[in-house]
Amino acid sequence: MKPRLAWLGFALAFLALVPAATAANLVSGLSQDQIEITSNYTGTDLVVFGAIESRGGESADSPRDVVVVVRGPDIDMNIRKKERVAGLWINRHEVTLFGMPGYYYLASSRPLGQIASPDVLARYQIGLSYLQAARYSSASPKEDRVYTEAAVREETKAKLYAAAEDGVEFLSYSLFRVRVPVPAGVPRGQYTAEVYLFQNGNVVSAQSTPLFVDQIGLERRLYGFAHRSPWVYGISVVLLALLLGWISSLVFQRR
Amino acid sequence: MELYLPIAQMSVHWLVILGMGGSVGFLSGLFGIGGGFLLAPLLMFAGIPPGVAVATTTSQVSAATFSGVVTHWKRKTLDLKMGTLMLCGGLTGTATGVYIFRLLREMGQMEFGVAVSYVVLLGSVGSLMLAESVKTIRDIKAGRTSGGRKPGQHNWIHGLPFKMRFRRSRLYISIFPPLMFAFMVGVLSAIMGVGGGFIMVPVMIYLIKMPASMVPGTTLFQVLFVTATATILHSVDNYSVDLVLAALLIVGGVIGAQIGVRLGGRLRGEQMRFLLALLTLAVAARLLYSLVVTPHDVYSLTIGAA
Repeated sequence: MKPRLAWLGFALAFLALVPAATAANLVSGLSQDQIEITSNYTGTDLVVFGAIESRGGESADSPRDVVVVVRGPDIDMNIRKKERVAGLWINRHEVTLFGMPGYYYLASSRPLGQIASPDVLARYQIGLSYLQAARYSSASPKEDRVYTEAAVREETKAKLYAAAEDGVEFLSYSLFRVRVPVPAGVPRGQYTAEVYLFQNGNVVSAQSTPLFVDQIGLERRLYGFAHRSPWVYGISVVLLALLLGWISSLVFQRR
Repeated sequence: MELYLPIAQMSVHWLVILGMGGSVGFLSGLFGIGGGFLLAPLLMFAGIPPGVAVATTTSQVSAATFSGVVTHWKRKTLDLKMGTLMLCGGLTGTATGVYIFRLLREMGQMEFGVAVSYVVLLGSVGSLMLAESVKTIRDIKAGRTSGGRKPGQHNWIHGLPFKMRFRRSRLYISIFPPLMFAFMVGVLSAIMGVGGGFIMVPVMIYLIKMPASMVPGTTLFQVLFVTATATILHSVDNYSVDLVLAALLIVGGVIGAQIGVRLGGRLRGEQMRFLLALLTLAVAARLLYSLVVTPHDVYSLTIGAA
């Protein structure tokens, strides 16, 4: 954390020297660019921080808004709908959503509706209600919408999708910070932390930083083992089970 | 301390899992059952995905039966010829069951299939056991002795062809009934994660009329190999066996079983069967409830394309 803050300080000092040529300069960084899931991983907080440097005068009357979106790697989701058949609830319909974010966290400085119009938000896929899969297995856009909403609901329940409309914390006029919870169970892969600066309902500046989430240690090796050589893995589980069963029977017989 | 389960892809507190293994082990020691039929639903209630729960339970059952097989082998209360015959049926059944399981998973009906199998099987076995134990308890209270079965009695099973002689069990019977029932139990083992002892034991005593002393050893022998095979096939076909979960369940189960065995001696047979019947019916009722009650959300999500 310490070196990062130093880096931020350096960036700010650098910014102060650069003449403000564009409408607004956006600088952002992450507290860590790699998250490692270990055996006792129960979740961690990622901190996205940044600073806005703007041309003097104009910034005072037109409000600036910051939106931070952290997106996980694209995954395919299979959504099934249960229906009652002869008194029992059974899966009847399904739609596959290809290319949904495996993780999605949004933080904004104000409710999204006050920051920009739905068109703008949809274009950048900002907001849980504007999320879309890259491709759907169904042919009806109406159905796609319903199943996407269901996917968002399920992922929100699993704490993999979340939105905090007051999640951007301003430390000063130009310095901001966002705490992004990364729970256990997030998919592995490349993430992106996107920072958007809005002014007058439009994106005036944006920055994207990659981030990696990986399983490390024993879990990673076990997961890889189970998928790479499933026969050997299965036989090992059985041998381990027999060994444990045998050892414990010996331990209890002696008593 | 929370532990991350690499295959289930979730964090659980290790004490919760150890406690589940322990309580199921306790019951299995108390009632002399494998306990797989209680463990898999319990894991599902705790939020472990049904596929992982069923597949991992099979490995716990093989661990729990292993020491029993060794003991019976030493005491020579294991009919190897009959055991091997049942194993042939059982392994075919397991392979078929794992295949059905994969089909169900691909159709999106795995959860439903597992739950329905449990409700049907536990419901019927539980009701039969309840009726039998209540009758025995009443008979004992009334001072009647139940009419014992005569070993020489013949039934339809003895009319079937392809007879084989089993010296150790002193039987001369057709190979079809053991093969058929073992096949059935093999299928159930793969779909439900159960060992199937609770079906095999009555079949061997009442239908095949094997000497009671040979029944537990021979059943355990078959259960051990069938569940071990189910573990391996589930690993290969469904990638759903969680080694960390299995290890926790085994350790918990063994400790629980020892306590259960010690307490089990104090209960009478028909009382135990009565309690076990109630427990079985309770699990069946809980699963049936989950199928009938309107879900919170009719949509459900599975990661990955079908």
